[in-house]
Amino acid sequence: MIGILKSMATTMKHALDGSTFTVEYPETAPDVSPRFRGVHKFSQERCIWCRQCENVCPNDTIQIVTNDQRQGEQYNLHIGQCIYCRLCEEVCPVDAILLTENFEFTADTKHDFVYNKEQLKAVPWYKDIDPLAAREPDRDAWVGEGDGEVDYQ
Amino acid sequence: MSTGLEREPAVEVTEDELEAIVGDRALARDDHLNAPGFVIRPDDVQDVLKDLRDEAGFDHLANLTAQEYPDRYESIYHLRKYADPTQEVSVVVPTTTDEPVSQTAEPVFRTADWHEREAFDLVGIDYEGHPDPRRILLPETWQGHPLSRGYDQEKPQLVTLTEHANPIQPDHHDDESDTMFLNIGPHHPATHGVLHIETVLDGETVVDVDPDIGYLHRCEEQMCQQGTYRHQIMPYPDRWDYVSAGLLNEWAYARVAEDLADIDVPEYAQVIRTMGAELCRIASHMLALATFALDVYGDFTAIFQYGMRDREVVQDILEDLTGQRLMFNYFRLGGVAWDLPEPREEFIEKTRDFLDGLPAKVDEYNDLLTGNEIFQIRTHDTGVLEPEVAKQYGCTGPVARGSGIDYDLRRDDPYGYYDNLEWDVVTKDGCDNYSRVLVRMQEVEESAKIIEQCLDLLEDWPEDERTVQSNVPRTLKPDADTEIYRSVEGAKGELGIYIRADGTDKPGRFKIRSPCFHNLSALPEMAEGEYIPDMIASLGSLDIVLGEVDR
Amino acid sequence: MSGATVAATDAASGLPAVPLQDTVLLPERIGELTGLDGFGLGGELIATLVSAVVIGSLMLTMTALAGPWAKRKITASFTDRIAVNQLGPWGIGIIIVDAVRMLSKELVIPEGVDRPAYDLAPIVVVASALLGFAVIPMGNGIQLADPEVGLAYVFAVSGIASLGLVMAGYSSANKYSLLGGLRAVAQNIAYEIPLVITGMSIVIFAGTLQLGEIVAAQHETLVEIAGISIPTWYAFVNPFAFVLFLVANFAEVGRNPFDTPEAPTEIVAGYQTEYSSVYFVLIYLGEFLHIFLGGAIIATIFLGGPAGPVLPGIIWFIIKIWAVFFATQWLRSAVPRVRIDQLIEIGWKGLLVLAFANLVLTAVIVGLIA
Repeated sequence: MIGILKSMATTMKHALDGSTFTVEYPETAPDVSPRFRGVHKFSQERCIWCRQCENVCPNDTIQIVTNDQRQGEQYNLHIGQCIYCRLCEEVCPVDAILLTENFEFTADTKHDFVYNKEQLKAVPWYKDIDPLAAREPDRDAWVGEGDGEVDYQ
Repeated sequence: MSTGLEREPAVEVTEDELEAIVGDRALARDDHLNAPGFVIRPDDVQDVLKDLRDEAGFDHLANLTAQEYPDRYESIYHLRKYADPTQEVSVVVPTTTDEPVSQTAEPVFRTADWHEREAFDLVGIDYEGHPDPRRILLPETWQGHPLSRGYDQEKPQLVTLTEHANPIQPDHHDDESDTMFLNIGPHHPATHGVLHIETVLDGETVVDVDPDIGYLHRCEEQMCQQGTYRHQIMPYPDRWDYVSAGLLNEWAYARVAEDLADIDVPEYAQVIRTMGAELCRIASHMLALATFALDVYGDFTAIFQYGMRDREVVQDILEDLTGQRLMFNYFRLGGVAWDLPEPREEFIEKTRDFLDGLPAKVDEYNDLLTGNEIFQIRTHDTGVLEPEVAKQYGCTGPVARGSGIDYDLRRDDPYGYYDNLEWDVVTKDGCDNYSRVLVRMQEVEESAKIIEQCLDLLEDWPEDERTVQSNVPRTLKPDADTEIYRSVEGAKGELGIYIRADGTDKPGRFKIRSPCFHNLSALPEMAEGEYIPDMIASLGSLDIVLGEVDR
Repeated sequence: MSGATVAATDAASGLPAVPLQDTVLLPERIGELTGLDGFGLGGELIATLVSAVVIGSLMLTMTALAGPWAKRKITASFTDRIAVNQLGPWGIGIIIVDAVRMLSKELVIPEGVDRPAYDLAPIVVVASALLGFAVIPMGNGIQLADPEVGLAYVFAVSGIASLGLVMAGYSSANKYSLLGGLRAVAQNIAYEIPLVITGMSIVIFAGTLQLGEIVAAQHETLVEIAGISIPTWYAFVNPFAFVLFLVANFAEVGRNPFDTPEAPTEIVAGYQTEYSSVYFVLIYLGEFLHIFLGGAIIATIFLGGPAGPVLPGIIWFIIKIWAVFFATQWLRSAVPRVRIDQLIEIGWKGLLVLAFANLVLTAVIVGLIA
């Protein structure tokens, strides 16, 4: 009997101290880690169409179409099929595709989840956080302070 | 370093002695990277395996790999010893392509039952003398064998459901007791996933149990065979044992690929790997406890919520470290993806806070679970699994350790940083559900010890020696026809992978040895003769994850 | 049909005559208020019906509060969560939402069910609980009738529920339901006897089966502690019987640790598996009504019914039955369920023996005091 009473006392303690572990979403949006892998963001300006991301994607989620001069025409990414492994961001040499922390995305049909490059460009930052800056906080370290002077001769 | 029975030291068997035991039944040698291999004829299987088991002491059939070459089929029996898993031997059984019949190993090792059914199902080898030659993962009406070379993957198949007939009605029917056939699952609140158990009941007593798996078969082995070693396979192991044991699964793949391609891992990365893996183990055991409580206590139990709450803290820590809460994709061949997150002190302090709060939580679980008398009468002497039976079924992990078998790959076949740390292996000899619960609870405390030591090491590690990844080329092409089997101690037991490299950057054969597969096959032994609630409790204490059972 | 006024000195036990409450039953009061009592038998009948509706509505309101809302809130407080809090103050709007949702679901009736039994089972479950409330004294004269065999009536009527469970289990043409129904009947039979025997020991104390008088008999002061007079609630007089009755009651209503007929993790939903929409609502509400009825019986025969300082009787009564409900939720969060064979063992070997011992002891002690 004592064991049963102890179990009951343990749960009663939780009831009485009134603290809750849950948060009321969506009023309180949770903080995610800087490294959290959410929806992708693609920058057409940076992309060099090397197709490394397409090659490395484990389940062929990225589809790139280039013309015969190797200029990029389409960059399609099915964010419903993606497994959010971040390999595309890892292999991209120019940070053209990166995973934001944004996890709040919806669509009406599964096909609406196929994002083309305009939609990928327009993906909003989660709480305005640029994840690359958060993941490597000293990214600009090698850039230098820039307080040298140009010596106009 | 063990809290159990004294382990008998294993007798070391040299290769010459092995050759002597196999004798002239060996047609050739086919050595793998991890073990000597003997090629034998298909009708010598039982004799050779029995000699190896009885004379050389190889009592653990770890894995049975089946594959098809252009000119033959092959079944490989990977044998190990419970007492010393570093001693391994592979028995290779080739058969012809047009009539692939091989003798069954089931009389020698009971676990070969399910393995051979899977080999027949996926590859197409017939096992002569098998007591129950049905398909196991695919539906009974499936045509063809998906992992064989001649299979057309483009052709879809429509599978119709047939009415399940009472399978053993003729055996158990007598005039006094009418038996009732009951399908438990696949839709059921307590089957831990989509598992279908065909039970025959005599009143409330379970007379026969036949687990029917395959509802979550996602062709993991085939998908890994279509991905490159270097990058593309690594996200998939997370999805085998998907309840928080992701890093442990990834380590299985990392270990086998690194041993296959001879890649070194820097020591700093080993420490991070060890810490991450033990965090995953804590999360996985928390979930196992919580769902076990759910099965025994009913739906509104507070223990389930407390377990989820405690696991949430671990998932937060892992999210800071790896970027995801469940599907981590954190390990890379040659190390890990990232170092600890900046600022390091904050992360280390957060983890230390979690570890400091853990003893209080464990006490709470003891109050709620193990101290509760009704829980004790429900779980003592129910789901009994004798150690000899467990060894026959190849059970590993907390299931084996709860039956007194002192088998833990972290200590016996060391990898990572485990052999440089102070920790114990937890064994109990109760052989019942209660022991397994206790084993898991105490393993949580042991994992906490390991993490504590890892944190101390990581904190003081000199800054310029923090290499997280060794230099590995972007494309890995191991030599053709090298085969290796390696395993790690996953959350549920020995998770092993067999890879055969064929000279390309993708594996030729990728076979996963799943611990839950073996543990689940022991369910009939545990549940027959007991009541339905005991069977549900036993199923909960086995802690199976269908993603790993079905792959 | 007013209640008895003053009883004579109890010659058998020699206990002082307790001035009983002058109870005016509800039908009478409603008859007076509306002037129906001038219409003879017809007026009395209508007044009785109206008061039955009043009592029934009161109890159903309690159930409606308990099921969708209070159960969630209480469970959440045990598990460190915030439960329903979006609609209405403290989330009470969930009751309306849940009602609409449940009632709007499709009524799926499987093919092989035994129709009359399948349809009647939920009604039997609910009706047996509601009928029991007719004789419970709830304070301030809210009581439908006070027959001389009140306690036996309540036990008899609430026992009809097990018939409903068996009907549900058997007629559903589902093996899980069958198992649940069998477990339910085994459990109910095993625990009905200790329940009634323990009730008998209370009858020995009070000397009557009439519930109004049992309540009145608990008005005396047992002992004065620091100026607060502790009344002779039978829970204080015989705590052993109180605990026994509590345990047997939990087993009767099918709550942890004795919820095997419904064990969701073993037999899906037991006897309720094949019920949906309206029928499910009826069974669900019926379960809560039974919990409240059990609480009402406990309050009446052990906790002095509607007795309590300051607040009106009905409020105390409601507090007491909610306390029992809260206890069931508390047990649900902390205590595992026993296996069916262990449950039967506890019932027939443990509780029965203890109940008989309690009865004999009570009889001896009362006989000695007299």
